[in-house]
Amino acid sequence: MAKDRKKTKTRNGSGRRAVVVGGVRTPFLKAFTAFTRMDSIALADAAVASLLERTEVPRDQIDSIVWGGVILPGLAPNIAREVALDLRLPHSVEGMTVTRACASGLQAVTLAAAAIERGEASIVIAGGSDSTSNAELKLPQKVVHTFAPLALSGASPMDYLAALSQLTPITEILPKAPKIAERTTGQVMGEAAESMARRNGITREEQDRFALASHLRAAAAIASGRFDDEVTPVGTPSGDVVHVDGLVRGDTSLEKLSRLKPVFARDGTITAGNASPLTDGAAAVLLMREDVARALGYTPLAAFRSWAYTGVDPADQLLMGPAIAMPRALERASMQLSDVDIVDMHEAFAAQVLSILRMLGSDAFAKERLGRDSAVGEIDPERLNVHGGSVAVGHPFGATGARMVTTVANELYRTGRTVALLGICAAGGLGAAAVLERC
Amino acid sequence: MSDLLLDIGQNPRARRLVQSLGLPISLPQKLRRARGPYEERELFGRTVVVGGCGALAEVLADVLARAGADPHVVGEASAVDPYRGPGEAFGRPPVLLAPGEVPEGIRADALVFDGCGVDRPEHLRVLHEFFHGWIDRLDRCGRIVVLGRPPEDRKKPAAAAASAALEGFTRSLAKEIGKTGATANLVYVADGAEDRLQGLLRFLLSDRSVYVTAQPFRVSAQAKSAEATPSVRPLDGRVALVTGAARGIGAATAELLAAEGAKVVVLDRPEDDGPASRVARSVGGSLLLVDVTDPEAPGRIADDLRERHGGVDIVVHNAGITRDKTLRRMTIEQWDQAVDVNLSSVARITDTLLEGPLRDGGRIICLSSIAGIAGNVGQTNYAASKSGLVGWVAALARRTAKHGITVNAIAPGFIETRLTAAMPMMLREAARRLCALGQGGLPEDVGQTIAFLATPGAHGLTGQVVRVCGGALVGR
Repeated sequence: MAKDRKKTKTRNGSGRRAVVVGGVRTPFLKAFTAFTRMDSIALADAAVASLLERTEVPRDQIDSIVWGGVILPGLAPNIAREVALDLRLPHSVEGMTVTRACASGLQAVTLAAAAIERGEASIVIAGGSDSTSNAELKLPQKVVHTFAPLALSGASPMDYLAALSQLTPITEILPKAPKIAERTTGQVMGEAAESMARRNGITREEQDRFALASHLRAAAAIASGRFDDEVTPVGTPSGDVVHVDGLVRGDTSLEKLSRLKPVFARDGTITAGNASPLTDGAAAVLLMREDVARALGYTPLAAFRSWAYTGVDPADQLLMGPAIAMPRALERASMQLSDVDIVDMHEAFAAQVLSILRMLGSDAFAKERLGRDSAVGEIDPERLNVHGGSVAVGHPFGATGARMVTTVANELYRTGRTVALLGICAAGGLGAAAVLERC
Repeated sequence: MSDLLLDIGQNPRARRLVQSLGLPISLPQKLRRARGPYEERELFGRTVVVGGCGALAEVLADVLARAGADPHVVGEASAVDPYRGPGEAFGRPPVLLAPGEVPEGIRADALVFDGCGVDRPEHLRVLHEFFHGWIDRLDRCGRIVVLGRPPEDRKKPAAAAASAALEGFTRSLAKEIGKTGATANLVYVADGAEDRLQGLLRFLLSDRSVYVTAQPFRVSAQAKSAEATPSVRPLDGRVALVTGAARGIGAATAELLAAEGAKVVVLDRPEDDGPASRVARSVGGSLLLVDVTDPEAPGRIADDLRERHGGVDIVVHNAGITRDKTLRRMTIEQWDQAVDVNLSSVARITDTLLEGPLRDGGRIICLSSIAGIAGNVGQTNYAASKSGLVGWVAALARRTAKHGITVNAIAPGFIETRLTAAMPMMLREAARRLCALGQGGLPEDVGQTIAFLATPGAHGLTGQVVRVCGGALVGR
């Protein structure tokens, strides 16, 4: 590993590392509100179009688009290529779409960085989008298996009628509503968060306090114009223009949050107030090779020191992945938590973030699960999610990673701080983390 | 093969009918058996109530948290301290319960009592104090494990008495709870062998030890051990020889060993070519057709293991026969056949394997029998051979300990196999009920115990006889 690090350094020294030049996202809106008629591709189009416009990147020099998504449009799952075609980019701008559950956005960005640092590309747009409003109802395979052969063989209407009789009972052929449940365990995400709260001794009040801070910080960022550089107004098919995030509640209070009923268990602690909501939105990041960026007159904001993706047992503590991934990314960056100036964690649930903070602060956890002598460390709440997180801003699955990279890159550039640590939990027991440094 | 009482017991209406008629029949509980290979969290979500002195608290805390159980600790406030670290690491915070406190509505999947501190007869009442309140809260197919120090290691007679008392207590408890499908076992942990307890505890608390009950175990540091003890796929990279593997217990064992990652050599007589090769194919193993009594057999087996597999780690001597006759009617041929297959060939083959192919850290497991140990009319030859194995494992275990090789015997009770299916119906029915669990075991129940003894985690057990008998009323 020491060898790898050395290599990275020489690459950095010669200006061949990948840097974040800018990022833009759509406002994030609650599902089934103003973005209902915009699918994941349309949202991606809006984010990338704005990124092109704001950065004035020379279109003919873009090598590719790498996109992340979770609920992919069934008929055109390669969103990246559709965006290039929709926006009339040169046909040479190729595209790939990746999925790694809620870490898809970060996955797209780190893939782009890797491609640049391997010398495959010098300018890449990476990002992600999701439209929960456009989740597709799944036709049961039984229906597909009954009718598809008929359709392919050119059968008569009578054949179809005959086939219909095979499709009983009716409950077996009703379309299944999409559900955020684990394929292997059947556990719904919220139940997993409930179990984590219990297993790590996280109280309802702690969660509500955390959620409150997320809302107040996001609201302050919006009010101060901090997000103006990174959020673009989006016109909807009905002719309205959405300017601002729709889920942030600057007027909420601990009292209001504490009145909400638990959603996943009668005596539970997870409420609509301390969980991330179903959201529509997209985020895009522009990455370049450092020397290319400087030659074109761009100001590099931040570069990746390292990243790490991990997996844990989804049947145990589904969303604890970042507690393994974040220390690993630090280790790859040859850094300690104390070297980090700001931490940005995806807030699937307040309980999940608080559980991970507890794990990072535990000596016993460090010894048993990380093979370290002592705890990774405590994270100062003042340095964590400084402008709020997914609980307040919302969480369009594939977009969140790119949103975080954008906000953190801007934050490093604006404040002069040097190192940021990102952490994202994802379905399937996945964890993702990255270390960014200011250029 | 169907067990009528077990079927009735599973049908709620029939069950109620039998009960309302006041028939003097107790319906056995359908046992909950583990499916699939070992899991990291074998005890996921199980409520385990721990009581007793706390001498083994560190080991218990570690095993329970790693295996995904939720520990409930009965004792003073400081009793939970050892459970905090593992609780934090694995998300299993301990729940403290005051002595005598049994919360409303709580059900325990397992009760574990640390009796290491019991060192005089007057002190035995702690058993009553702990179990009296909790025994009714033990769920169906629950588990009880009592831990103690071996009586033979106690210097004072009073302490030895208290230690030995744990055995009678546990055996009786096993019989009390057997009708609910629950089991109770005793583990004597030698001083300095505490860190070898993990594997056995995991096994006893899991759904893999379903037919092991009323059984004392002795955990010692006798066999040398330097290896890691993985909890999943513990047999990865190991080679296992199973004799008599064409059907029954042998076939079930081959499957279970393969499921944990072992490369299995399926051995049976040339006449059983068909079923043996089916087993070999299904477990992805290799086939070796040899008659174990053939004088050439030890050499051929050793050559095959050396040439095709580079050696062997696990040897399961499962091949066995009966030649039942009362002694006055038994011919010398019948005597010879039974003793040769069941005992002499086991010793001959093992001696040859010990000369080379059997690697350090190996496992030798042979099949004894409850009937053999207890003695049975018409089985003088069979019982001689099967109880001979008991002496053989104890002596061999001492010799191989320095190579980390453990040697143990399994004594199955009434197992539903081809052999028992051939018994007269009334006799079979009676035999099934003569144990605490009130039903026959399955070949896989024996296989699970063999597979456990084959794992690196079983390094604390050697020279022993492990009964897989559902708490049979006979035997010792």
